[in-house]
Amino acid sequence: MWHEVRGLKDDVDLGTPPRDGPPVSLEIDGQPVTVPAGSSVMLAAATAGRAIPKLCATDMLEAFGSCRVCLIEIEGRNGFPASCTTPVAEGMKVKTRSEALTRLRKGVLGLYLSDFPRNEIPGGWSEFHETLKAEGITSHPYGEGGANHFDARVDDSNPYFLFDPTKCIVCSRCVRACAEVQGTFALTIDGRGFESKVVASQNQPFLQSECVSCGACVQACPSHALVEKSLFDGEYKHA
Amino acid sequence: MPNPIKPEKSVVTTCAYCGVGCGFKAETRGEKIVRMIPWKEGKANHGHSCIKGRFAYDYYNAPDRVLTPLIRASIDDPWKSVSWEEAFAYAAGEFKRIQAKFGVKSIGAVSSSRCTNEEIFLTQKLARAVLGNNNIDNCARICHSPTQFGLTQTIGAGAASQHFDSILQADVIMIVGANPTEGHPVFGSLMKRRIREGARLIVIDPRKTETVESAHCKADVHLAIRPGTNVAILDSIAHVIVREKLYNEAFVHARCEVAEFENWKALVGDDKYAPEVIGPIANVDPADIRRAARLYAGGPNSTIYYGLGVTEHSQGSTGVMCLGNLGLSCGMLGREGVGVNPLRGQGNVQGGSCLGSWPHVFSGYRFVTDHATRSSFEAEWGVTLDAEPGLRLPNMLDAAVAGSFKGMYIMGEDPVQSDPNQHHVIAAMKNMECVVLHDLFLNETSKYAHVFFPGSSSLEKDGTFTNAERRVSRVRKVIEPLAGLQDWEITVKFMNALGYELSYDNPGEVLDEIARLSPNYSGMSFALIDQIGSAQWPCNKDAPQGTEVLHREKFPRANGLGTFMLTDYVPTAERTSDRFPLLLTTGRILTQYNVGTQTRRTPNSVWHPEDVLEINEQDAIARGLQDGDWVQMSSRFGQIQLRARISERVNPGVVYTTFHHAKSKANAVTSDLSDWATNCPEYKVTAVDVVRIRVPTGTASLEAARLEAAE
Repeated sequence: MWHEVRGLKDDVDLGTPPRDGPPVSLEIDGQPVTVPAGSSVMLAAATAGRAIPKLCATDMLEAFGSCRVCLIEIEGRNGFPASCTTPVAEGMKVKTRSEALTRLRKGVLGLYLSDFPRNEIPGGWSEFHETLKAEGITSHPYGEGGANHFDARVDDSNPYFLFDPTKCIVCSRCVRACAEVQGTFALTIDGRGFESKVVASQNQPFLQSECVSCGACVQACPSHALVEKSLFDGEYKHA
Repeated sequence: MPNPIKPEKSVVTTCAYCGVGCGFKAETRGEKIVRMIPWKEGKANHGHSCIKGRFAYDYYNAPDRVLTPLIRASIDDPWKSVSWEEAFAYAAGEFKRIQAKFGVKSIGAVSSSRCTNEEIFLTQKLARAVLGNNNIDNCARICHSPTQFGLTQTIGAGAASQHFDSILQADVIMIVGANPTEGHPVFGSLMKRRIREGARLIVIDPRKTETVESAHCKADVHLAIRPGTNVAILDSIAHVIVREKLYNEAFVHARCEVAEFENWKALVGDDKYAPEVIGPIANVDPADIRRAARLYAGGPNSTIYYGLGVTEHSQGSTGVMCLGNLGLSCGMLGREGVGVNPLRGQGNVQGGSCLGSWPHVFSGYRFVTDHATRSSFEAEWGVTLDAEPGLRLPNMLDAAVAGSFKGMYIMGEDPVQSDPNQHHVIAAMKNMECVVLHDLFLNETSKYAHVFFPGSSSLEKDGTFTNAERRVSRVRKVIEPLAGLQDWEITVKFMNALGYELSYDNPGEVLDEIARLSPNYSGMSFALIDQIGSAQWPCNKDAPQGTEVLHREKFPRANGLGTFMLTDYVPTAERTSDRFPLLLTTGRILTQYNVGTQTRRTPNSVWHPEDVLEINEQDAIARGLQDGDWVQMSSRFGQIQLRARISERVNPGVVYTTFHHAKSKANAVTSDLSDWATNCPEYKVTAVDVVRIRVPTGTASLEAARLEAAE
């Protein structure tokens, strides 16, 4: 845990926590980079200035590998592993961009987009919004009226932040921040598959739950589903 | 729901709440703060935060914030708004008149641990160089003064031996009289991380706090001692270490005064400190005392963190010495993962402590009686300084009651609410002819003040804070001061009005002056902190970027050796009786902060709208109490009314409350006993009784206030 907290930098998100193993050299898109053993390919790519798009990863939390946006190709290996959960190896040759990867990422991001409130896309500045912009995703092929979570109720019970499940992409960053960073374990994912949702304690409003309002979940949320009320004018302007 | 509005600007600064001193990026839109984001490079918090620093910042904008200076000739008159010039002239005129009539020493000053280092330094400069006496004290008097004394006596430095991250290399963590998950939440989270990695936990606390047991974190040993038996239990732990020869003989021989070690061994090794003797006194199982001792001594890296549960006792200094002795005897000092560390309550208690805001010492704990030190200050300040130590805050109040002390400059403190024996404090206040209060809001003390300087919140000024790990971090101005002046400017202008010429372009120049006059700070500057983020003192030519771990080679004592103090247990004079059969102890809760000046003005009151009395079911049944009943709690000193909560957190015979709300007046019942060495009040032990009452008069309005706060 030493390097994991002490190696963080303010202006970059390495994607996975910094490590302090012996140096390992690899190539990212042909560019050589050396990082400590135990680092992820995602961290190596960020270090090499070839940041890989991601949603469920951030360097204050251990890798989770759920969003499937950070896929890569590795020379001599099959498939498209997630760069956040793949540790670096000496001499590894990684490709972060290719036609196949673009197609895969577009497919995944389109799925997220299809269950995100459409009128909340313009003007957004969350990591999710920035990722869509960076990858040039503006539409999805799934049409309107499919299964979605647009009717989910906003939980504004906490005086300082609100949880709008319609914007939640169920990446678990909030759940993991509550556990790993804060150590309170107030949040969990309830249900499975399409039914899965973030809940506080026993499916209670945040204010009635074990939540201690440290803000780690809000900070971790990549889609402004958990967001400070103070960032809104009018209704959410606090006292 | 629309998208949130993006903040325009962000400034890195330091949280003004507890002694963890988290780094934050304060984000603004126009002149309004819209968000506080924990700073990932903040070395105390690594991007984490708690509810107070992260969300409870809006107090700066509260409707009752005072924005113009106020004066009045008598505390029975209404306040009159005046210009800054008029307020300075009036206060200065009164102070000069009082000194002419009652003598140079009839006035003093008090600084606060919520002030920056620069402000604290200026306030003591005001007392010494301008008022011409050493009547300067600070609020650490009532919290951690025993830390400075007790640790200096044993290990040579009255400060944390470690940096916070050191806990990540600890194998055994001993928490004494502290509740980090509520009082120092971000450090509490770091501690829990380490516990989840497998570190063992010993907690010594009368109460079963959240630190004792929470999700994936459970103390291996919890010594739920009877309040007031700290020294007995720590001596008993030492007894086991001595009798079972668990001490680190090599360390003691290399690093400590061996003769003193032998004396200490003889004392704590005596049968009177055997767990079987102390167990019944402290109300704990002797086997648990042995387990705690073996765990601590076994390490390999054992570390101690402690809070006001150690210091705020009549043997507070002795308790601190016990911890110093333990660390030395087991060789748990001088490297990563070990140490003896006070958890400081307020953002700048350490700064308040080490910058000379004391009646007997200059910055760096150098005595005012020492000619050479005094000369260095005289040369810098161009005045002759008083060689006689001044009055401590409790003594200033005593002298005011006696009639010889007539005026006080109070910066950022509310002694009427936070100091013990409220009736006495009020009597002292009423007896003074000019009380100058410098704060954000009118408070309990302002009822007895004649001049009010409207201060600036930490979001409105520049300076530095020194956190509980000796880390000096920048406080940066995020918005313009609402009342027009930054706090350091107010103090400087007041000094000017009193006839002392000085000026600074910015508080960085005050820090430069501190650096010139204080060995531990000699390498500190705004430029250094801006460059490397923060630095822990000692920061000097040997350690240009500061020092994370103290005592690696030697202890900062004349011979470089640590020493053992004799820590005989002397029970407090505050004892239970037929009339007062319960022991009251006090503490803090996560969402509120001290006397609540800041947090009560934020939605944090939703979580803690009032102080309640925790009482064990046995004691509740004996008194016919139901959960939520109103009770009257009486002690020899006073009585208060509050609601009872039946709780398993306290043992039978012990009751507990917080002191965050002025209306519950917890300090009206606390005793006037204090630490034998430093006068730190004994807040943690008061004999009381509790009786059920009907809903008290005035409760209608209390209820309304509660509901209002909850909305």
